[in-house]
Amino acid sequence: MPFRVARLGPTLAGLLLLAVGAAGADTGDIRDGKVVYERWCVTCHGAEGNGQGEAAKYMSTKPRDYREGTFKWRTTPSGSLPLDSDLEHTLLNGVYGTYMPTWGFLGERSRQDVIAYIKTFAPRFASEKPQAPIIIPPEPGYSDESVKRGSAIYQKYNCSQCHGDGGRGDGPSAHDLKDDWGNDIVPYDLTKGHVKCGDTATDIYRVFMTGLSGTPMPTFADSMDPTDAWDLVHFIESLSPRYAKNFARTAANSTARANP
Amino acid sequence: MSNGTSATQCAHHSFCLAAGLALFGIAGSLAALPSAAYEAVAVNNGGTIEGVITLSGAHAGATITTTKNQDYCGASIPDPTYTVDSAGGLANVIVYLKDITKGKPGPSEPIKLVNDHCMFSPRVQGAMVGEQVTISSDDPILHNTHPQNAETNATIYNIALPFKGFSVTKPLPANPELIKIKCDAHEWMHAWIMELDHPYYTTTGSDGHFTIKDVPPGSYTLAVWHEAAGEKSEPVVVAAGKTSKSKITLAAK
Repeated sequence: MPFRVARLGPTLAGLLLLAVGAAGADTGDIRDGKVVYERWCVTCHGAEGNGQGEAAKYMSTKPRDYREGTFKWRTTPSGSLPLDSDLEHTLLNGVYGTYMPTWGFLGERSRQDVIAYIKTFAPRFASEKPQAPIIIPPEPGYSDESVKRGSAIYQKYNCSQCHGDGGRGDGPSAHDLKDDWGNDIVPYDLTKGHVKCGDTATDIYRVFMTGLSGTPMPTFADSMDPTDAWDLVHFIESLSPRYAKNFARTAANSTARANP
Repeated sequence: MSNGTSATQCAHHSFCLAAGLALFGIAGSLAALPSAAYEAVAVNNGGTIEGVITLSGAHAGATITTTKNQDYCGASIPDPTYTVDSAGGLANVIVYLKDITKGKPGPSEPIKLVNDHCMFSPRVQGAMVGEQVTISSDDPILHNTHPQNAETNATIYNIALPFKGFSVTKPLPANPELIKIKCDAHEWMHAWIMELDHPYYTTTGSDGHFTIKDVPPGSYTLAVWHEAAGEKSEPVVVAAGKTSKSKITLAAK
C-alpha cells in the first residue's frame, strides 16, 4: 500500500489517505480498481456507477446502482452498508438468474481494488461504517420434523403474502412491488432450487434475517428466533430437490467466503 | 439533503475522483458532529406561535381501492391525503421553524408508527434527530415498514411485521432528512416523518390548527410541509411571553 500511494500525485495521495482513513480497513487501490471497473463492469454498471451502462436497458433485473450504498446481499443488518467481504462474495458467486457472472478469474487483488473503487460512488462509505454482521448460530440437522415445523413458520410469518402458498412467488402482494429505483420486482420463486444470494443453507437463512436492501424483502430478525429460522430454511429446501444437490456442490467447492 | 448525485456531475474522471474524495472528507467531519448545530438550554419567558393551515382550491374526496387482504382491510379506505374540515383547515401538515440553533431540550421518548387497519398512523409526524421510532402492528396480516429517503428513495431499513401485536424500536437516520415510509405488501400505505435537528415542530390536527411553545424570543422562518400541497414559509417574530398568530394557505394540487 505505501508503495502504491507513493506513485500518486501528492495532493491526490493525501485525499486518498483521508478517504481510506475515514472508511476504515480498505485494502484495495482505488486507481487500480478504476482500471478493472472500466474494463469489466462499466458496460452494465455505467461509468458513474449508476447502474445505467450501455447494456442495462436490455436487462430485466437491473445492474446495481452503487450511489446510495444499497446492496441486497450483506451479512449486515437491514439498511446497513455491506462489508467488503460481502461485496467480494457477490463477485465470487455472481447472482444466479441475472446477468451478473462470477468474477473469480480476476484474482483477489483486482477484486479488492474494484471493491475500493465501487465504494467511491457512494458517499455513505466515507461517512459511515457498516454495522456488525448478524450472528448465525450453527445449523441444526435437517430432518422431516424440522421441515414440518418450518412449514408452520412459513404460514405463521405470512411469507405467502408475497411468495404464495406453494412458494412460487405468486402471493396476493406479488404484483405491485417496486424496488428503490421504481423498477418492477417480483418475489422469488422458491421452488426453483437456486437462491440468487448463494446456494448454502446459511445463505437462505441470511436472506430473511438481513432482508434484501433496496427491495420489498424485509428483515425478520426482529420477529423470528434462530431456531424457527433454521426450520424455515429446511422448509424452503424441501420445496425443490435441486437445493440438496446445489448444497452438495457448494460444500464440495466450499471456500471460507461462501459461508463466513 | 443528499449529496448522493455529486459523482454523476463530474465530467472528467480524475477531477471527479479528487472532488468526490474532498466531499467525502467534509461529509465525514460533519457526520462526526451531527447535533453541534443545536444547543439545548432552559427557555424562560419563551413565546408561542399559534395558527391554522388551510387548503385552497378543489380537491376530490378520494378513496383508496384496496387490492389485497380485502377480507381484513375492506374493499376501500378513505384517502387521507387531503383531510380538510368544514372551515378549510388542513390536517397532517408539518409546521416547523427553520434555522433555530438554541432552545428547549428535545423529546426523549421514541415516536410511534402503528400499522392500523391497513394504514399507517400517524400519517405524518416530526421527529428530532437522535430519537427512535417504535413500529408496531395492530393487524393480523403481514405488513412491512420500509422507510426511505424521500429525495433519493434509498432504503433506510425494511422491517417485517408478521403478526398482530408485534412491536420493535429502531433508530432514525443519524442526519436529519425527510423520510417517506411504505408497506410493500400493501402498496397504498404511506407515511412521512420529517426529521429535524431541533424540537420546534408540530403537526396540524384535524382542524388544521397548530401550536409551537417555548420559542426563545427572536425572528424566525416558519415553514410548512404537506405531502401533496407542497411547502411554504413566512417570517415570524416571537416576543417574550406573547403569542404570535399565523395563517398559511396551501393550494391543492
